[in-house]
Amino acid sequence: MNEQLEAAAADHNPSRVLLEAQDLTFAYRANAHPILEGWSAKFLSGTTTALTGPSGRGKSTLLYLLGLMLRPAAGDILVDGRATTGLRDVQNAQIRAGYFGFVFQDAALDPSRTVLDNVTESSLYRGTDRKKAAVRARDLLERFNVGVPPARRPGQVSGGQAQRIALCRALIHEPQILLADEPTGNLDPESSAVVVEGMISHSRTGAAVVIVTHSPEVAAACDREIRL
Amino acid sequence: MRSLAILREAIVTARSQPVASALTILMITGMVLAVMLTTGRTVGAEQQVLGSLDDLGTRSIVIRAESSAGVTSSVLDRIAVVDGIEWAAAFTSAVDATNTLVLDGTKVATRYAYGSHLDILGIPASSPDPGHLAYASSGALERLGLPDVAGSITLTTGTQYGVGGQLTTPDFLAPFEPLVLIPQPTSAPVDDAVNVVIVIADSPELVAPVSDAVLSVIGADDPTKVTVQTSEALAELRGIIQGQLGAFSRGLVVILLAVTGALVAIILFGLVMMRRKDFGRRRALGASRRLIVGLLLLQTGALGLVGTGLGVAASSLALVASSDPLPSTSFILALSTLTLVTALLAAVAPAVAASRREPIRELRVP
Repeated sequence: MNEQLEAAAADHNPSRVLLEAQDLTFAYRANAHPILEGWSAKFLSGTTTALTGPSGRGKSTLLYLLGLMLRPAAGDILVDGRATTGLRDVQNAQIRAGYFGFVFQDAALDPSRTVLDNVTESSLYRGTDRKKAAVRARDLLERFNVGVPPARRPGQVSGGQAQRIALCRALIHEPQILLADEPTGNLDPESSAVVVEGMISHSRTGAAVVIVTHSPEVAAACDREIRL
Repeated sequence: MRSLAILREAIVTARSQPVASALTILMITGMVLAVMLTTGRTVGAEQQVLGSLDDLGTRSIVIRAESSAGVTSSVLDRIAVVDGIEWAAAFTSAVDATNTLVLDGTKVATRYAYGSHLDILGIPASSPDPGHLAYASSGALERLGLPDVAGSITLTTGTQYGVGGQLTTPDFLAPFEPLVLIPQPTSAPVDDAVNVVIVIADSPELVAPVSDAVLSVIGADDPTKVTVQTSEALAELRGIIQGQLGAFSRGLVVILLAVTGALVAIILFGLVMMRRKDFGRRRALGASRRLIVGLLLLQTGALGLVGTGLGVAASSLALVASSDPLPSTSFILALSTLTLVTALLAAVAPAVAASRREPIRELRVP
Protein backbone atom coordinates (compact mmCIF):
# COMPACT_ATOMS: atom_id res chain seq x y z
CA MET A 1 0.00 0.00 0.00
CA ASN A 2 2.81 2.41 0.88
CA GLU A 3 4.31 2.31 -2.60
CA GLN A 4 1.00 3.07 -4.22
CA LEU A 5 0.31 5.93 -1.81
CA GLU A 6 3.81 7.37 -2.21
CA ALA A 7 3.40 7.28 -5.98
CA ALA A 8 0.09 9.03 -5.75
CA ALA A 9 1.54 11.65 -3.39
CA ALA A 10 4.57 12.31 -5.55
CA ASP A 11 3.05 14.98 -7.75
CA HIS A 12 1.14 17.85 -6.26
CA ASN A 13 0.93 21.54 -6.86
CA PRO A 14 -0.42 23.47 -3.87
CA SER A 15 -1.81 26.87 -4.67
CA ARG A 16 -4.78 28.75 -3.22
CA VAL A 17 -6.40 28.44 0.17
CA LEU A 18 -9.68 26.59 -0.20
CA LEU A 19 -10.45 26.10 3.47
CA GLU A 20 -9.27 28.08 6.45
CA ALA A 21 -9.93 27.85 10.17
CA GLN A 22 -9.43 31.12 12.02
CA ASP A 23 -9.09 31.07 15.83
CA LEU A 24 -11.64 28.31 16.24
CA THR A 25 -13.01 27.68 19.69
CA PHE A 26 -15.57 25.00 20.34
CA ALA A 27 -17.20 23.28 23.31
CA TYR A 28 -20.16 20.92 23.27
CA ARG A 29 -21.72 22.65 26.29
CA ALA A 30 -21.65 26.30 27.22
CA ASN A 31 -19.73 25.87 30.48
CA ALA A 32 -17.60 22.89 29.47
CA HIS A 33 -13.88 23.07 28.80
CA PRO A 34 -13.40 23.82 25.08
CA ILE A 35 -12.26 20.92 22.90
CA LEU A 36 -10.65 23.44 20.58
CA GLU A 37 -9.42 26.86 21.59
CA GLY A 38 -8.04 29.47 19.20
CA TRP A 39 -7.21 26.86 16.57
CA SER A 40 -6.15 28.04 13.11
CA ALA A 41 -5.02 26.33 9.92
CA LYS A 42 -5.15 26.71 6.16
CA PHE A 43 -5.93 23.94 3.70
CA LEU A 44 -4.63 24.48 0.22
CA SER A 45 -5.88 23.21 -3.08
CA GLY A 46 -4.05 20.14 -4.29
CA THR A 47 -2.98 19.21 -0.79
CA THR A 48 -3.87 16.25 1.39
CA THR A 49 -3.77 16.90 5.11
CA ALA A 50 -3.92 14.26 7.81
CA LEU A 51 -5.42 15.24 11.17
CA THR A 52 -3.91 12.92 13.75
CA GLY A 53 -3.67 12.64 17.51
CA PRO A 54 -4.99 10.62 20.42
CA SER A 55 -8.68 9.95 20.83
CA GLY A 56 -10.66 12.73 22.49
CA ARG A 57 -8.53 15.58 21.18
CA GLY A 58 -11.30 16.81 18.89
CA LYS A 59 -10.16 15.57 15.49
CA SER A 60 -13.62 14.57 14.33
CA THR A 61 -15.13 17.62 15.98
CA LEU A 62 -12.68 19.77 14.03
CA LEU A 63 -13.59 17.96 10.81
CA TYR A 64 -17.32 18.56 11.37
CA LEU A 65 -16.56 22.20 12.19
CA LEU A 66 -14.58 22.51 8.95
CA GLY A 67 -17.54 20.90 7.16
CA LEU A 68 -19.92 23.54 8.57
CA MET A 69 -21.89 20.89 10.43
CA LEU A 70 -21.09 22.43 13.80
CA ARG A 71 -20.95 26.11 14.65
CA PRO A 72 -17.84 27.34 16.47
CA ALA A 73 -18.28 29.25 19.73
CA ALA A 74 -15.68 31.70 18.41
CA GLY A 75 -13.60 32.09 15.27
CA ASP A 76 -14.56 31.50 11.69
CA ILE A 77 -14.35 28.99 8.86
CA LEU A 78 -13.53 30.45 5.46
CA VAL A 79 -14.56 28.39 2.44
CA ASP A 80 -12.81 29.57 -0.71
CA GLY A 81 -12.25 32.88 1.05
CA ARG A 82 -15.86 33.29 2.18
CA ALA A 83 -16.55 33.66 5.90
CA THR A 84 -19.25 31.31 7.10
CA THR A 85 -19.90 32.45 10.66
CA GLY A 86 -23.31 34.01 10.85
CA LEU A 87 -24.57 32.42 7.66
CA ARG A 88 -28.04 30.94 7.78
CA ASP A 89 -28.50 27.18 7.78
CA VAL A 90 -29.68 27.14 4.19
CA GLN A 91 -26.57 29.05 3.08
CA ASN A 92 -24.29 26.68 4.96
CA ALA A 93 -26.12 23.75 3.38
CA GLN A 94 -25.60 25.26 -0.07
CA ILE A 95 -21.86 25.61 0.62
CA ARG A 96 -21.70 22.03 1.89
CA ALA A 97 -23.51 20.74 -1.18
CA GLY A 98 -21.47 22.91 -3.54
CA TYR A 99 -17.93 22.61 -2.16
CA PHE A 100 -17.70 19.55 0.05
CA GLY A 101 -17.53 15.83 -0.25
CA PHE A 102 -17.63 13.65 2.88
CA VAL A 103 -16.44 10.17 3.68
CA PHE A 104 -17.65 8.93 7.04
CA GLN A 105 -16.13 6.30 9.27
CA ASP A 106 -18.77 3.64 8.60
CA ALA A 107 -19.79 4.66 5.06
CA ALA A 108 -23.25 5.73 6.29
CA LEU A 109 -25.08 4.42 3.26
CA ASP A 110 -28.86 4.34 3.11
CA PRO A 111 -29.71 0.63 3.32
CA SER A 112 -33.16 1.17 1.84
CA ARG A 113 -31.88 2.63 -1.43
CA THR A 114 -29.81 1.18 -4.23
CA VAL A 115 -26.08 1.66 -4.56
CA LEU A 116 -26.70 4.03 -7.48
CA ASP A 117 -29.22 6.07 -5.47
CA ASN A 118 -26.71 6.33 -2.64
CA VAL A 119 -23.94 7.56 -4.90
CA THR A 120 -26.12 10.14 -6.64
CA GLU A 121 -27.91 11.32 -3.49
CA SER A 122 -26.17 14.68 -3.20
CA SER A 123 -27.34 15.74 -6.67
CA LEU A 124 -30.70 16.38 -5.00
CA TYR A 125 -29.13 18.81 -2.55
CA ARG A 126 -27.01 20.47 -5.22
CA GLY A 127 -29.96 20.75 -7.55
CA THR A 128 -28.09 19.08 -10.39
CA ASP A 129 -29.29 16.61 -12.99
CA ARG A 130 -29.59 13.16 -11.51
CA LYS A 131 -29.28 11.41 -14.88
CA LYS A 132 -25.89 12.99 -15.53
CA ALA A 133 -24.89 12.12 -11.97
CA ALA A 134 -25.94 8.51 -12.59
CA VAL A 135 -23.61 8.29 -15.61
CA ARG A 136 -20.68 9.58 -13.56
CA ALA A 137 -21.67 7.33 -10.64
CA ARG A 138 -21.40 4.26 -12.84
CA ASP A 139 -17.94 5.41 -14.00
CA LEU A 140 -16.80 5.93 -10.41
CA LEU A 141 -18.16 2.56 -9.27
CA GLU A 142 -16.16 0.97 -12.06
CA ARG A 143 -13.05 3.07 -11.42
CA PHE A 144 -12.95 2.08 -7.77
CA ASN A 145 -13.69 -1.50 -8.64
CA VAL A 146 -16.65 -1.68 -6.29
CA GLY A 147 -17.81 -4.89 -7.91
CA VAL A 148 -21.46 -4.46 -6.92
CA PRO A 149 -24.35 -4.00 -9.37
CA PRO A 150 -25.62 -0.40 -9.08
CA ALA A 151 -29.17 -1.65 -8.51
CA ARG A 152 -28.20 -3.67 -5.45
CA ARG A 153 -28.86 -2.44 -1.93
CA PRO A 154 -25.93 -1.69 0.36
CA GLY A 155 -27.10 -4.21 2.95
CA GLN A 156 -25.72 -6.92 0.69
CA VAL A 157 -22.17 -5.53 0.31
CA SER A 158 -19.01 -5.89 2.40
CA GLY A 159 -17.55 -3.12 4.57
CA GLY A 160 -14.79 -2.46 2.05
CA GLN A 161 -17.24 -2.23 -0.81
CA ALA A 162 -19.49 0.06 1.25
CA GLN A 163 -16.63 2.46 1.92
CA ARG A 164 -15.71 2.50 -1.78
CA ILE A 165 -19.33 3.31 -2.55
CA ALA A 166 -19.15 6.09 0.04
CA LEU A 167 -16.02 7.41 -1.70
CA CYS A 168 -17.86 7.41 -5.02
CA ARG A 169 -20.67 9.35 -3.34
CA ALA A 170 -18.17 11.86 -2.00
CA LEU A 171 -16.52 12.33 -5.39
CA ILE A 172 -19.66 12.33 -7.54
CA HIS A 173 -19.63 16.10 -7.97
CA GLU A 174 -15.83 16.50 -7.93
CA PRO A 175 -15.85 18.52 -4.71
CA GLN A 176 -13.18 21.16 -4.16
CA ILE A 177 -12.91 20.09 -0.54
CA LEU A 178 -12.99 16.47 0.57
CA LEU A 179 -13.32 15.65 4.27
CA ALA A 180 -12.93 12.13 5.60
CA ASP A 181 -13.44 10.90 9.16
CA GLU A 182 -11.29 7.81 9.76
CA PRO A 183 -12.26 6.41 6.37
CA THR A 184 -10.06 3.35 6.68
CA GLY A 185 -10.81 2.58 10.33
CA ASN A 186 -12.77 -0.58 9.61
CA LEU A 187 -11.21 -1.64 6.31
CA ASP A 188 -8.89 -4.36 5.15
CA PRO A 189 -5.54 -3.19 3.72
CA GLU A 190 -6.63 -3.55 0.11
CA SER A 191 -9.79 -1.52 0.54
CA SER A 192 -7.86 1.03 2.62
CA ALA A 193 -5.39 1.49 -0.20
CA VAL A 194 -8.15 1.98 -2.77
CA VAL A 195 -9.94 4.54 -0.62
CA VAL A 196 -6.84 6.56 0.34
CA GLU A 197 -5.53 6.42 -3.20
CA GLY A 198 -8.84 7.72 -4.44
CA MET A 199 -8.72 10.65 -2.06
CA ILE A 200 -5.12 11.53 -2.84
CA SER A 201 -5.80 11.29 -6.57
CA HIS A 202 -8.68 13.64 -6.07
CA SER A 203 -6.42 16.16 -4.34
CA ARG A 204 -4.25 16.08 -7.44
CA THR A 205 -7.16 17.53 -9.39
CA GLY A 206 -6.85 20.66 -7.26
CA ALA A 207 -8.99 19.74 -4.28
CA ALA A 208 -8.12 20.21 -0.63
CA VAL A 209 -8.41 16.89 1.18
CA VAL A 210 -8.53 16.56 4.96
CA ILE A 211 -8.40 13.11 6.52
CA VAL A 212 -8.86 12.33 10.20
CA THR A 213 -6.89 9.15 10.81
CA HIS A 214 -5.19 7.00 13.41
CA SER A 215 -3.28 5.18 10.71
CA PRO A 216 0.40 6.15 10.46
CA GLU A 217 0.44 4.78 6.90
CA VAL A 218 -2.40 7.00 5.81
CA ALA A 219 -0.83 9.99 7.56
CA ALA A 220 2.44 9.29 5.85
CA ALA A 221 0.75 9.21 2.45
CA CYS A 222 -0.65 12.68 2.99
CA ASP A 223 1.20 15.86 2.05
CA ARG A 224 1.19 17.11 5.60
CA GLU A 225 0.11 16.07 9.05
CA ILE A 226 -1.48 18.18 11.74
CA ARG A 227 -1.36 16.64 15.21
CA LEU A 228 -3.94 17.64 17.75
CA MET B 1 -37.34 21.01 -11.85
CA ARG B 2 -35.83 20.80 -8.37
CA SER B 3 -39.30 20.68 -6.83
CA LEU B 4 -40.04 17.63 -8.95
CA ALA B 5 -36.78 16.02 -7.85
CA ILE B 6 -37.69 16.68 -4.21
CA LEU B 7 -41.19 15.27 -4.74
CA ARG B 8 -39.72 12.22 -6.41
CA GLU B 9 -37.27 11.79 -3.51
CA ALA B 10 -40.14 12.03 -1.01
CA ILE B 11 -42.12 9.35 -2.84
CA VAL B 12 -39.11 7.07 -3.28
CA THR B 13 -38.24 7.52 0.41
CA ALA B 14 -41.81 6.64 1.39
CA ARG B 15 -41.63 3.52 -0.77
CA SER B 16 -38.30 2.54 0.74
CA GLN B 17 -39.90 2.48 4.21
CA PRO B 18 -42.79 0.11 3.55
CA VAL B 19 -43.72 -0.64 7.15
CA ALA B 20 -43.86 2.95 8.37
CA SER B 21 -45.54 4.08 5.16
CA ALA B 22 -48.12 1.29 5.34
CA LEU B 23 -48.84 2.16 8.98
CA THR B 24 -49.29 5.83 8.15
CA ILE B 25 -51.59 5.01 5.23
CA LEU B 26 -53.51 2.58 7.44
CA MET B 27 -54.03 5.23 10.12
CA ILE B 28 -55.26 7.79 7.62
CA THR B 29 -57.44 5.28 5.78
CA GLY B 30 -58.89 4.16 9.10
CA MET B 31 -59.62 7.71 10.10
CA VAL B 32 -61.38 8.51 6.83
CA LEU B 33 -63.32 5.24 7.08
CA ALA B 34 -64.36 5.99 10.65
CA VAL B 35 -65.52 9.49 9.79
CA MET B 36 -67.29 8.44 6.60
CA LEU B 37 -69.08 5.49 8.22
CA THR B 38 -70.20 7.50 11.25
CA THR B 39 -70.35 11.21 10.58
CA GLY B 40 -70.47 10.75 6.81
CA ARG B 41 -73.41 8.40 7.11
CA THR B 42 -75.15 10.84 9.48
CA VAL B 43 -74.40 13.77 7.20
CA GLY B 44 -75.67 11.79 4.22
CA ALA B 45 -78.91 11.07 6.04
CA GLU B 46 -79.08 14.67 7.24
CA GLN B 47 -78.57 15.96 3.72
CA GLN B 48 -81.27 13.62 2.48
CA VAL B 49 -83.71 14.86 5.15
CA LEU B 50 -82.76 18.47 4.58
CA GLY B 51 -82.98 17.93 0.84
CA SER B 52 -86.56 16.83 1.29
CA LEU B 53 -87.27 19.78 3.53
CA ASP B 54 -85.57 22.11 1.08
CA ASP B 55 -87.86 20.97 -1.71
CA LEU B 56 -89.83 23.70 -3.42
CA GLY B 57 -92.92 22.88 -1.34
CA THR B 58 -91.09 23.73 1.86
CA ARG B 59 -90.05 27.11 0.54
CA SER B 60 -93.42 28.01 -0.93
CA ILE B 61 -95.64 30.91 0.06
CA VAL B 62 -99.22 30.55 -1.14
CA ILE B 63 -101.30 33.75 -1.10
CA ARG B 64 -105.01 33.33 -1.68
CA ALA B 65 -107.11 36.37 -2.45
CA GLU B 66 -110.86 36.54 -2.76
CA SER B 67 -112.06 37.90 -6.09
CA SER B 68 -113.12 41.11 -4.40
CA ALA B 69 -109.66 41.62 -2.86
CA GLY B 70 -108.49 43.45 -5.97
CA VAL B 71 -105.26 41.52 -6.51
CA THR B 72 -104.22 41.52 -10.17
CA SER B 73 -101.56 39.83 -12.27
CA SER B 74 -99.48 43.01 -12.17
CA VAL B 75 -98.49 41.92 -8.68
CA LEU B 76 -95.80 39.81 -10.34
CA ASP B 77 -94.00 42.96 -11.56
CA ARG B 78 -93.85 44.25 -8.00
CA ILE B 79 -92.79 40.87 -6.60
CA ALA B 80 -89.95 40.75 -9.15
CA VAL B 81 -88.07 43.47 -7.30
CA VAL B 82 -88.14 41.61 -3.96
CA ASP B 83 -84.86 39.85 -3.10
CA GLY B 84 -84.70 36.21 -2.03
CA ILE B 85 -87.30 34.88 -4.46
CA GLU B 86 -86.57 31.95 -6.72
CA TRP B 87 -89.89 31.73 -8.53
CA ALA B 88 -93.32 33.35 -8.60
CA ALA B 89 -96.56 32.90 -10.51
CA ALA B 90 -100.16 33.99 -10.28
CA PHE B 91 -103.36 32.13 -11.10
CA THR B 92 -106.96 33.16 -11.63
CA SER B 93 -109.92 31.53 -9.95
CA ALA B 94 -110.95 28.19 -11.39
CA VAL B 95 -113.31 27.84 -14.32
CA ASP B 96 -114.71 24.41 -15.15
CA ALA B 97 -113.68 22.84 -18.41
CA THR B 98 -114.64 19.66 -20.25
CA ASN B 99 -113.32 17.73 -23.22
CA THR B 100 -114.70 19.60 -26.27
CA LEU B 101 -115.82 16.29 -27.74
CA VAL B 102 -117.60 15.24 -24.52
CA LEU B 103 -119.22 18.41 -23.29
CA ASP B 104 -121.20 16.59 -20.62
CA GLY B 105 -118.11 14.76 -19.46
CA THR B 106 -116.19 15.23 -16.24
CA LYS B 107 -115.50 18.86 -15.39
CA VAL B 108 -111.99 19.86 -14.41
CA ALA B 109 -111.00 23.15 -12.76
CA THR B 110 -108.96 25.30 -15.14
CA ARG B 111 -106.98 28.44 -14.31
CA TYR B 112 -105.23 31.12 -16.31
CA ALA B 113 -101.59 31.28 -15.29
CA TYR B 114 -99.24 34.31 -15.23
CA GLY B 115 -95.52 34.22 -14.83
CA SER B 116 -92.32 34.27 -16.84
CA HIS B 117 -90.87 30.96 -15.65
CA LEU B 118 -93.72 28.53 -16.09
CA ASP B 119 -91.30 26.14 -17.77
CA ILE B 120 -90.68 24.45 -14.38
CA LEU B 121 -94.26 23.15 -14.74
CA GLY B 122 -93.45 21.58 -18.08
CA ILE B 123 -94.92 24.46 -20.10
CA PRO B 124 -92.66 25.45 -23.02
CA ALA B 125 -90.92 28.80 -22.54
CA SER B 126 -92.13 29.92 -25.95
CA SER B 127 -95.64 28.77 -26.85
CA PRO B 128 -96.53 28.10 -30.54
CA ASP B 129 -99.86 29.83 -29.94
CA PRO B 130 -99.51 32.13 -26.93
CA GLY B 131 -102.58 32.38 -24.74
CA HIS B 132 -104.54 29.79 -26.67
CA LEU B 133 -103.17 26.49 -25.41
CA ALA B 134 -103.96 24.62 -22.21
CA TYR B 135 -101.65 22.32 -20.30
CA ALA B 136 -103.03 19.60 -18.06
CA SER B 137 -101.62 17.29 -15.44
CA SER B 138 -101.84 13.54 -16.00
CA GLY B 139 -104.73 13.36 -13.51
CA ALA B 140 -106.58 16.10 -15.33
CA LEU B 141 -105.94 14.53 -18.77
CA GLU B 142 -107.32 11.24 -17.47
CA ARG B 143 -110.49 12.90 -16.18
CA LEU B 144 -110.92 14.83 -19.39
CA GLY B 145 -110.52 11.66 -21.42
CA LEU B 146 -107.45 12.96 -23.21
CA PRO B 147 -104.84 10.30 -22.41
CA ASP B 148 -102.98 10.99 -25.68
CA VAL B 149 -102.40 14.66 -24.72
CA ALA B 150 -104.19 15.73 -27.86
CA GLY B 151 -107.52 17.45 -28.40
CA SER B 152 -109.17 20.48 -26.91
CA ILE B 153 -111.13 21.66 -23.89
CA THR B 154 -114.12 23.98 -23.64
CA LEU B 155 -114.65 26.23 -20.63
CA THR B 156 -118.12 26.82 -19.22
CA THR B 157 -117.72 30.30 -20.69
CA GLY B 158 -117.71 28.63 -24.11
CA THR B 159 -114.09 29.41 -24.96
CA GLN B 160 -112.08 26.58 -26.48
CA TYR B 161 -108.39 25.85 -25.98
CA GLY B 162 -106.21 23.28 -27.65
CA VAL B 163 -104.27 20.96 -25.35
CA GLY B 164 -100.58 21.92 -25.72
CA GLY B 165 -99.00 19.35 -23.44
CA GLN B 166 -98.80 17.67 -20.09
CA LEU B 167 -98.02 19.53 -16.87
CA THR B 168 -95.54 18.43 -14.28
CA THR B 169 -97.23 19.16 -10.99
CA PRO B 170 -94.76 20.27 -8.30
CA ASP B 171 -95.55 19.71 -4.61
CA PHE B 172 -96.70 23.27 -4.11
CA LEU B 173 -99.41 22.90 -6.78
CA ALA B 174 -100.56 19.48 -5.54
CA PRO B 175 -103.54 21.02 -3.63
CA PHE B 176 -104.84 22.29 -6.98
CA GLU B 177 -104.95 18.84 -8.61
CA PRO B 178 -106.38 17.86 -11.07
CA LEU B 179 -104.74 20.84 -12.69
CA VAL B 180 -105.31 22.55 -16.03
CA LEU B 181 -103.47 25.80 -16.75
CA ILE B 182 -103.77 28.25 -19.59
CA PRO B 183 -100.56 30.28 -19.61
CA GLN B 184 -101.01 33.90 -20.57
CA PRO B 185 -98.42 35.72 -22.68
CA THR B 186 -95.99 37.83 -20.67
CA SER B 187 -95.19 40.23 -23.51
CA ALA B 188 -98.45 42.22 -23.43
CA PRO B 189 -99.20 44.33 -20.34
CA VAL B 190 -101.96 42.58 -18.40
CA ASP B 191 -103.80 43.42 -15.26
CA ASP B 192 -106.27 40.58 -14.82
CA ALA B 193 -107.71 39.67 -11.43
CA VAL B 194 -105.90 36.74 -9.84
CA ASN B 195 -106.87 34.63 -6.85
CA VAL B 196 -103.72 32.69 -6.10
CA VAL B 197 -100.13 33.93 -5.99
CA ILE B 198 -97.39 31.40 -5.33
CA VAL B 199 -93.89 32.50 -4.40
CA ILE B 200 -90.89 30.22 -3.83
CA ALA B 201 -88.20 31.66 -1.55
CA ASP B 202 -84.50 31.05 -2.24
CA SER B 203 -84.10 29.17 1.06
CA PRO B 204 -86.29 28.01 3.94
CA GLU B 205 -84.87 30.70 6.23
CA LEU B 206 -86.13 33.39 3.86
CA VAL B 207 -89.74 32.19 3.87
CA ALA B 208 -90.82 34.51 6.70
CA PRO B 209 -89.15 37.74 5.47
CA VAL B 210 -90.08 37.07 1.83
CA SER B 211 -93.67 36.41 2.90
CA ASP B 212 -93.77 39.80 4.68
CA ALA B 213 -92.20 41.55 1.69
CA VAL B 214 -94.62 39.99 -0.80
CA LEU B 215 -97.62 40.93 1.35
CA SER B 216 -96.39 44.51 1.44
CA VAL B 217 -96.48 44.71 -2.38
CA ILE B 218 -99.56 42.56 -2.99
CA GLY B 219 -101.62 45.65 -3.71
CA ALA B 220 -104.93 44.30 -2.34
CA ASP B 221 -107.84 46.73 -2.11
CA ASP B 222 -109.00 44.83 0.97
CA PRO B 223 -106.15 43.10 2.82
CA THR B 224 -108.60 41.22 5.04
CA LYS B 225 -109.57 39.17 2.00
CA VAL B 226 -106.03 37.93 1.54
CA THR B 227 -104.69 34.87 3.37
CA VAL B 228 -101.13 33.58 3.42
CA GLN B 229 -100.02 30.00 3.84
CA THR B 230 -96.30 29.37 4.40
CA SER B 231 -94.03 26.52 5.45
CA GLU B 232 -92.38 28.57 8.18
CA ALA B 233 -92.84 25.81 10.74
CA LEU B 234 -91.00 23.38 8.48
CA ALA B 235 -88.20 25.90 8.04
CA GLU B 236 -87.83 26.09 11.82
CA LEU B 237 -87.85 22.29 12.05
CA ARG B 238 -85.12 22.24 9.40
CA GLY B 239 -82.98 24.57 11.48
CA ILE B 240 -83.42 22.37 14.56
CA ILE B 241 -82.51 19.17 12.67
CA GLN B 242 -79.50 20.79 11.01
CA GLY B 243 -78.24 22.26 14.28
CA GLN B 244 -78.51 19.00 16.21
CA LEU B 245 -77.00 16.76 13.57
CA GLY B 246 -74.31 19.32 12.77
CA ALA B 247 -73.14 19.62 16.38
CA PHE B 248 -72.96 15.82 16.78
CA SER B 249 -71.07 15.39 13.52
CA ARG B 250 -68.57 18.14 14.22
CA GLY B 251 -67.75 16.76 17.66
CA LEU B 252 -67.10 13.29 16.30
CA VAL B 253 -64.95 14.56 13.46
CA VAL B 254 -62.82 16.67 15.81
CA ILE B 255 -62.20 13.66 18.08
CA LEU B 256 -61.30 11.38 15.17
CA LEU B 257 -59.01 13.99 13.63
CA ALA B 258 -57.24 14.53 16.94
CA VAL B 259 -56.73 10.79 17.47
CA THR B 260 -55.47 10.27 13.92
CA GLY B 261 -53.22 13.32 14.11
CA ALA B 262 -51.66 12.00 17.32
CA LEU B 263 -51.15 8.53 15.83
CA VAL B 264 -49.58 9.91 12.66
CA ALA B 265 -47.28 12.11 14.76
CA ILE B 266 -46.25 9.10 16.87
CA ILE B 267 -45.51 7.00 13.79
CA LEU B 268 -43.48 9.78 12.21
CA PHE B 269 -41.59 10.43 15.45
CA GLY B 270 -40.78 6.74 15.57
CA LEU B 271 -39.67 6.91 11.95
CA VAL B 272 -37.43 9.90 12.66
CA MET B 273 -35.87 8.18 15.69
CA MET B 274 -35.27 5.00 13.69
CA ARG B 275 -33.70 6.95 10.84
CA ARG B 276 -31.59 9.43 12.78
CA LYS B 277 -28.55 8.44 10.79
CA ASP B 278 -30.43 8.98 7.54
CA PHE B 279 -31.21 12.57 8.41
CA GLY B 280 -27.70 13.18 9.76
CA ARG B 281 -26.23 11.91 6.48
CA ARG B 282 -28.57 14.05 4.43
CA ARG B 283 -27.57 17.12 6.42
CA ALA B 284 -23.87 16.32 5.96
CA LEU B 285 -24.30 15.88 2.22
CA GLY B 286 -25.83 19.32 1.85
CA ALA B 287 -29.51 19.10 2.75
CA SER B 288 -30.74 22.20 4.52
CA ARG B 289 -33.10 21.93 7.48
CA ARG B 290 -35.80 23.39 5.30
CA LEU B 291 -35.28 20.65 2.73
CA ILE B 292 -35.47 17.93 5.38
CA VAL B 293 -38.72 19.40 6.72
CA GLY B 294 -40.06 19.70 3.18
CA LEU B 295 -39.13 16.10 2.36
CA LEU B 296 -40.91 14.70 5.41
CA LEU B 297 -43.97 16.87 4.83
CA LEU B 298 -44.12 15.86 1.17
CA GLN B 299 -43.69 12.24 2.17
CA THR B 300 -46.54 12.55 4.67
CA GLY B 301 -48.63 14.42 2.12
CA ALA B 302 -48.13 11.65 -0.45
CA LEU B 303 -49.05 8.97 2.09
CA GLY B 304 -51.98 11.12 3.22
CA LEU B 305 -53.28 11.35 -0.32
CA VAL B 306 -53.09 7.58 -0.77
CA GLY B 307 -54.69 6.95 2.64
CA THR B 308 -57.45 9.46 2.02
CA GLY B 309 -58.17 8.07 -1.44
CA LEU B 310 -58.33 4.53 -0.10
CA GLY B 311 -60.50 5.61 2.82
CA VAL B 312 -62.96 7.49 0.63
CA ALA B 313 -63.16 4.63 -1.88
CA ALA B 314 -63.61 1.93 0.76
CA SER B 315 -66.17 3.86 2.79
CA SER B 316 -68.15 4.88 -0.30
CA LEU B 317 -68.33 1.25 -1.34
CA ALA B 318 -69.42 0.26 2.17
CA LEU B 319 -72.12 2.94 2.26
CA VAL B 320 -73.41 1.99 -1.17
CA ALA B 321 -73.37 -1.71 -0.23
CA SER B 322 -75.42 -1.01 2.90
CA SER B 323 -77.83 1.24 0.96
CA ASP B 324 -76.94 4.21 3.14
CA PRO B 325 -76.91 7.68 1.63
CA LEU B 326 -73.51 9.02 0.60
CA PRO B 327 -72.54 12.40 1.99
CA SER B 328 -72.21 15.21 -0.53
CA THR B 329 -69.09 15.74 -2.65
CA SER B 330 -68.36 18.92 -0.72
CA PHE B 331 -68.37 16.92 2.54
CA ILE B 332 -65.98 14.34 1.08
CA LEU B 333 -63.69 17.07 -0.28
CA ALA B 334 -63.74 18.89 3.05
CA LEU B 335 -62.99 15.67 4.93
CA SER B 336 -60.13 14.84 2.55
CA THR B 337 -58.66 18.32 2.93
CA LEU B 338 -59.04 18.21 6.70
CA THR B 339 -57.41 14.77 6.85
CA LEU B 340 -54.46 15.93 4.76
CA VAL B 341 -54.04 19.08 6.82
CA THR B 342 -54.19 17.02 10.04
CA ALA B 343 -51.57 14.59 8.75
CA LEU B 344 -49.32 17.46 7.64
CA LEU B 345 -49.71 19.29 10.95
CA ALA B 346 -48.92 16.06 12.79
CA ALA B 347 -45.78 15.73 10.67
CA VAL B 348 -44.45 19.22 11.42
CA ALA B 349 -42.94 18.42 14.83
CA PRO B 350 -41.27 15.15 13.71
CA ALA B 351 -40.01 16.91 10.57
CA VAL B 352 -38.46 19.72 12.60
CA ALA B 353 -36.92 17.13 14.95
CA ALA B 354 -35.47 15.32 11.93
CA SER B 355 -34.05 18.53 10.50
CA ARG B 356 -32.22 19.19 13.76
CA ARG B 357 -30.31 15.90 13.84
CA GLU B 358 -26.65 16.82 14.15
CA PRO B 359 -24.52 14.85 11.68
CA ILE B 360 -21.69 14.44 14.18
CA ARG B 361 -23.99 12.74 16.69
CA GLU B 362 -25.50 10.41 14.12
CA LEU B 363 -22.54 9.58 11.90
CA ARG B 364 -19.65 9.19 14.31
CA VAL B 365 -18.86 5.69 15.46
CA PRO B 366 -17.83 5.73 19.14
